[in-house]
Formats: sequence, C-alpha cells, structure tokens
Amino acid sequence: MTFTADDPAVDQVRVSVLVAVPPDEAFRIFTEDIDLWWRRGLRYRIAAGRAGTIHLEAGVGGRLYEAFESGGDTQLTETGRVTAWDPPRRFVFEWRAVNFAPGETTEVEVAFEATASGTRVTVTHRGWNRIRADHPARHGMDAEGFLRTMGRWWGDLMGGLREFGAGRGG
Amino acid sequence: MPDLDGTLTALADPARRAVIDLLQREPRCSSALADALELTRPAMSRHLRVLRKAGLVEEASLEDDARVRVYRLRREPFAGLREWLDDVEGFWTDQLASFKRHAEAKAKRPRA
Repeated sequence: MTFTADDPAVDQVRVSVLVAVPPDEAFRIFTEDIDLWWRRGLRYRIAAGRAGTIHLEAGVGGRLYEAFESGGDTQLTETGRVTAWDPPRRFVFEWRAVNFAPGETTEVEVAFEATASGTRVTVTHRGWNRIRADHPARHGMDAEGFLRTMGRWWGDLMGGLREFGAGRGG
Repeated sequence: MPDLDGTLTALADPARRAVIDLLQREPRCSSALADALELTRPAMSRHLRVLRKAGLVEEASLEDDARVRVYRLRREPFAGLREWLDDVEGFWTDQLASFKRHAEAKAKRPRA
C-alpha cells in the first residue's frame, strides 16, 4: 500500500521568464554568471550580509554551492549536484535546503527554449513528495526554516490543493 | 486565520494526507475512504476524527439522501498551504527576474 502521489503535477512549482538573448547565451549566462544574478539577502543566500559567492560547476556531478568566509576560514555549503547537463537546452540539479534531513532532496530543472525574441527560461522545482513527512518540524528552527519545512509536510498536496486554497471565498 | 500547528500535526500521517487527496476530488463516506486506502473502518474513523478536530474536513449529508454522511474538505485551512506555495514560487520568480535583468544588460554591452 502506498500513499505517494506520483503525478508530477501535484508535486512541483514551475516559473518561467522570457529573456531577450538566444538560448546558448542564456544557458551560459545562467550557469557561468550565477553569482552575479543570484539574489542577495537571507532569503536567497546563507551568507546574507557576509561576502559569499554562489558557484555552479559545469557538467554532471558538478556542485551548486555557496562559499563564504567565517572566522578566517572559507566555508562551503552545498545545495546539490548536477544530475543532467545538456547545454543549451536544459540542466538538472538536486536541491537540499540546509534543514533537510540526510538523504532528503528535491530537484530543480532549468529549461531553455528558443522563442521569436529570445529564450523562455523555465524553472521546475519538484520532488517534494519524496521528503519524509514525519521529520521533526519545528525544533530549533527560525521562521524561515519553519516556512521551508512546511513545504515538506505539504509537498504531496501541491497542485490541486493550491487551487483549492486559492478558491476561498470565490 | 488557519491554525498551522494543528494542520501540520493532522497532515503528519501519510494515510491522512491520502484522505485529503481523495476528498479533494469529491466528498466520500468513511467506509469508502477505508476501502480506497485499504484500512480498517475503526482506523479510518480515528484518522477522520483527527482531521475533523484540525478543521480540515467536515461531515455533511448527501443532497439526495440525507441519511448518508459524507466527509468533505474545508477550504479555509488550505489558504495557509497556498501562502507557502506562493513563497516557493516567489523565490524562483524573483531569481528569474534578476537573471533576466542581468542577461539582458550583459547582452547590450559590447563584447570584450
């Protein structure tokens, strides 16, 4: 007996943007310049106010990590590794938030499609239903951490329930 | 304002999440839910009690037969879920907007 929803539609968040550069250039800028465009602040980076840099190593097995100085040492926090690398069309990497338990991971796919005026870049963040639901939720976590944890508990209810919640009062 | 603690506790159990998933499609009676998830009726009753106390589901009567009691989802608690999903989506929306600004500004600059 299994309760896991395998329907990808209930297990992901998807966001797109149109960029006025061709796909090969979009792919290159996205990956090589990641530290230049990756937003700053606690919501996006662990180092926040300190001088930290985001790195994405090209190719399968490459790491996405943040490096920052702490007490005279350089610390690395790895978010995940590249699992598919197909420039200039797509790449996929694992995504583990700092509060995920060992072995817990989600997946981010970035796709680049040519359009008349440039490239459509689509980020799909999926795999929330693989996150263990009985993981201790709130212990020692700040508000941001708790917010992210909620995603794990609710991950397999994504999609349809989201619409359901949106329809409140409508 | 939905009680997130109560919601999370109720949803901590995979069987209860499966109940929510089924009720999302249509209201069902307790025995139909038990059959669908291969659980005993007492076990299903316990799960439904937890979900009801958390305010996630409510009992209702079928319109064409008032004797049949069914369970259906309450909409209110799931507004909290939507807020969280919007947060994940907002994270990537912000990142892509930032990427777009950077990529387009860079493309306009003459190549070295």
